Amino acid sequence: MKTIAEQVRAMRRRWRTFDLAEQKDDSAVWFGGLVGIERQYRVSVEYGHPAPGRDNARWRLFPLVRVLSPQLEPRFDALEEAPLPHVYFDYKDITLSPLCLFDPNANEWSHDDLIAETTIPWAADWLACYEGWLATGRWHGGGRHGQPHHASQ
Amino acid sequence: MNKLLIEPLGPGAPVGEILLAETAVRIELPPSLHQLAVDRYAAVSKHAERPDSPLHDKVTWFYPQGSMAIRSTIKSHRRDDGFDIDIVAELLLHGALTPAQVLDLLFEAINGPPGSMYHGMVERQTRCITVRYADGMHLDITPSELLDAHDPRRSHIFHAKPGEPATHHRYLTMNSWAFCDWFNANTPVDLLFEQAYRKRALAFDQMRVLAEAEVKPVPGHSSTEAGKSASVVALQLLKRNRNMRYASRKGQRLPPSVMMACFSGHTSVPGSSISDALDTIAAVILEALERADRSNTLIDLRNPKCNNDRFTDRWPENAQAQRIYIDDLKLFRRQLAAIMSDQLTLPQKRDLLVVMFGEGPAQSAVNDYAATLGQAVATGSRKIAPSGKVLPIAAAAPAIITPSAAQPRSHTFYGSPWGSW
Repeated sequence: MKTIAEQVRAMRRRWRTFDLAEQKDDSAVWFGGLVGIERQYRVSVEYGHPAPGRDNARWRLFPLVRVLSPQLEPRFDALEEAPLPHVYFDYKDITLSPLCLFDPNANEWSHDDLIAETTIPWAADWLACYEGWLATGRWHGGGRHGQPHHASQ
Repeated sequence: MNKLLIEPLGPGAPVGEILLAETAVRIELPPSLHQLAVDRYAAVSKHAERPDSPLHDKVTWFYPQGSMAIRSTIKSHRRDDGFDIDIVAELLLHGALTPAQVLDLLFEAINGPPGSMYHGMVERQTRCITVRYADGMHLDITPSELLDAHDPRRSHIFHAKPGEPATHHRYLTMNSWAFCDWFNANTPVDLLFEQAYRKRALAFDQMRVLAEAEVKPVPGHSSTEAGKSASVVALQLLKRNRNMRYASRKGQRLPPSVMMACFSGHTSVPGSSISDALDTIAAVILEALERADRSNTLIDLRNPKCNNDRFTDRWPENAQAQRIYIDDLKLFRRQLAAIMSDQLTLPQKRDLLVVMFGEGPAQSAVNDYAATLGQAVATGSRKIAPSGKVLPIAAAAPAIITPSAAQPRSHTFYGSPWGSW
């Protein structure tokens, strides 16, 4: 498992547009600018190590990315993936729904991975496909849907 | 990123530039229509010189002028409008006929006797005759007479508006041949741009042929037969925009294509991008029109190879017409700047492209762009720039284009469907 310090160092080295907002022994939060196509979005990344013997919040299972601005635009009339593509819907405010960037059942991400080399570029992939989806109503980035998830934690 | 390292229209090119190129590809004549135009041009020439034609032995030769001769023909924005092909019929008349007689003679030669190939399809205009095909294509044939054998193709054309008194009829000097030569020399093909644009044009042509289930081989496309510079592509887009703006302005003359081509030829710079060329052409036209407007005159633009050939003799008719296009160009430059801005999202750029060039080509260009990008993400065949920008890896793209971009491993987007709680 990568330490939080290792994650922080890798983020600082690879993503200069991100600021570390909070660092603890077992968790960290970043805010930063990320481009998918050209427009820069501001996103947040929450991450923590799982706490043994507890019912862990989702951000302790894998890094959680949210788009802060410009606000995501739900499209209920989109041809595919309405009203937002590949997110864990947050029914309190769906524009802040965390992005679903990998298939947890396919072992595509583990705590041994660096967020800087996986989560952040995958979020850039998501933003690029999201703009394509906004412009065409179709999601071209592939993916699949799993079992229903409930409101975010 | 170092501009020199950006392959024209490659993955590192600005999105606006790629969208402009893809839009331009979609307003090009499809290869089948291009071939049809070439065939019709040949057929009508042969018909005019047939043995029983009143012009038999009087035609020196036919040659294309206008957009066909400078590789800038575009489709109409309305499906049933077709497009114009301009031809000059150089005649040997020895100055014996009046303008009206020349135009009537050409009309008679092409229209032919009842039952012949073009009978009933031909219309006599003020300076040319028009052959109208059922599919919307128009062939404009302008009669001319050579003025000086030592000054190649400097000619008279003939102005005789039907119904107007003969005293208004006149001879006009023109040299469209020399102008086209000058234009083509001033807008040389930039090899890197030409290859990148041709690749996109061919890809779109192949997709279109597959979609139309055509079985015949694809004829040469205008972009592959002669190659294109960014200036010519920019000229096509500017003409398209003008056509869009004037579509609902009934009865108003369009700013002439030849004026736009002339400014394009004057400002062409090898190695420029479509967006740079577009902005430059629009800016110099705007500057010239505003200069004229400030001095309470109308723009007076001459053929750079024939000073008596006045390109703006029928437009603008008055100061108001001039000012309308001034405002169009101001708006166009603002829209173009927005297309090239990195502050707009893809749907915002799509909306602008629709306004500027029409919904069909704009939405189609954006659809293909989104599909290509999504496919690159889905298959992991993309790199991620330090900003996060996703760069599809083109098969032939040299690695030098994206030296600092990383290729993260593939992943599968996931998530719960809406309403599944």
